[in-house]
Amino acid sequence: MKEFQVNGVNLQCYPLTAAQRLHNYTVMFCPFHQILNIGTGLYIQMDTDFEMLREAIYEAYWRNDFMRLRFHKDVDDTVYQFLVPFEERDIPIVDFSNWQEEDARRQMEEWTKIPFKRFHSPMNEIRMIRMPNGYNGIYMKIDHMTADSTAVVGFYKDVLEIYCSRKYDYPAPKPMKSYIEALEKDLAYEAGSAARKRDEAYWKAIIEDPDEPMYTDFNGMTRLLTQRKESNNPDLRSAVVVSVNPEAAISKYQLEKEPSDQLMQFCEEHKIPMVCLLLMGLRTTLSKFNNNEKDVSINSCVARRGTLLEKKSGGTRIHFFPLRTIIEPEMTFMEALKVIQEEQNKLFRHANFDPIEFRSRRTRYRQMKPGASYESISLTYQPLTIRSQDDNIPDIPYKSDWYTNGVAGQPLYLTVMHRVEDNGLCFSFEYRKDAVTDYEMEYLYYYLCRVLFRGIENSERTVGEILDMI
Amino acid sequence: MLEKFKELICEYVEAEPDAITEESRFIEDLHFNSYDFVDFLGAVETEFDIVIDESEIMDLHTVGDAIAYAQKLQGE
Repeated sequence: MKEFQVNGVNLQCYPLTAAQRLHNYTVMFCPFHQILNIGTGLYIQMDTDFEMLREAIYEAYWRNDFMRLRFHKDVDDTVYQFLVPFEERDIPIVDFSNWQEEDARRQMEEWTKIPFKRFHSPMNEIRMIRMPNGYNGIYMKIDHMTADSTAVVGFYKDVLEIYCSRKYDYPAPKPMKSYIEALEKDLAYEAGSAARKRDEAYWKAIIEDPDEPMYTDFNGMTRLLTQRKESNNPDLRSAVVVSVNPEAAISKYQLEKEPSDQLMQFCEEHKIPMVCLLLMGLRTTLSKFNNNEKDVSINSCVARRGTLLEKKSGGTRIHFFPLRTIIEPEMTFMEALKVIQEEQNKLFRHANFDPIEFRSRRTRYRQMKPGASYESISLTYQPLTIRSQDDNIPDIPYKSDWYTNGVAGQPLYLTVMHRVEDNGLCFSFEYRKDAVTDYEMEYLYYYLCRVLFRGIENSERTVGEILDMI
Repeated sequence: MLEKFKELICEYVEAEPDAITEESRFIEDLHFNSYDFVDFLGAVETEFDIVIDESEIMDLHTVGDAIAYAQKLQGE
């Protein structure tokens, strides 16, 4: 911790965590600072007392200290973070009730594209919204260096619970946890702890594996073959995936409730985490698109929220690391799932390590070009919904939405989440427009679903058989 | 050792310590998810100064399994 005096006030500032440095790195090198904006909406179909909702939001600001986070840049350009004691900005009401829903959505996307002032300024913005068809709720834009999707869902849930406790006498929500306490634990891990040393040794061994991983693109072999030709290296196994044009879009595909339930039931019966099933589907699809390549790596994003402190303290905690699997075609779907589960457990176990440090060490060791990678897709599975196992919120129709900020650093980022309405799965693909088209996204989703359902209908089928069938 | 396990478990999930027994299953009864469980084992390692073999994680289903495994490692 460090103390600074700004405008005559002493500020207690903390360094950034590894998860925050990852975002800070992005914003340092991307001229479009809205790249870190997360735009979301939550709407409920019921009469809303907006004054009471406003009070509930203020109370949630007080209870969720991460929502009061600010950044400070020191004279040597190092970025620090600090909390302000309370939030008293106005929370306006915007009336879209006479708009078409699509027009309202476009307006909120425009808001999401406006970057935040990065230092000594609030890193979120909330508006209360009247939507068409009697839905009312909240639009929130928040900086990714202060919150991830778990933090956003947790904040919404807290606002709703506070509102419902005031309006309908539901039980008051339990206290949230301290962001600073969680931050201090993260910083202690980084300060030469035994756990960090253990994780460092694990990732060193991964980086120095004698067999180099293989890049597998969601659009087939073209990118790698082109770069092999350009570099005059027919054995090249990594590909440059960064772009000077980060313009991005989001395509969403809704898997109906019944097939979603089938996937969840399969996971429950076989004790397979949903994220492992999704990784299996994605890695098999990538294999199919790349001449049945056996060696496939995907960036697996880890929320790193194990303890109750981590689950309920907000902030941004996501780290991502490559999940590499080499699956022989003779292996059954179930055997391959077990391999993925084992690898994912190892990744979980060592996921506190700094992902930027991992990547820079790997780039140096493999002598990769700047911006080169072995992974073309990042995957996040978000199991939380506002409604999850909760008796503190009445049973009313909800809608939620995520709005694009218009730019993306990675070529393709798949987030799979549960719909608040029916718990079915929503596949949200955020993609760079220069890397992939909407049509190609649909194609990828179609193959992903084919793999998943061919696999779960008979998990003793071999991976080779599934590759032939789809 | 059960008492210490209960204490650690309650850092991860909202459970009543008295309701936790050696027969409690981490996933089905205590509602751990896969990340919680792996992270919890990290806390067990630190607490009891042991090193858990990653390939054995998937065989630990109940609190009793984990206690027996930790005791075995402590005895080695």
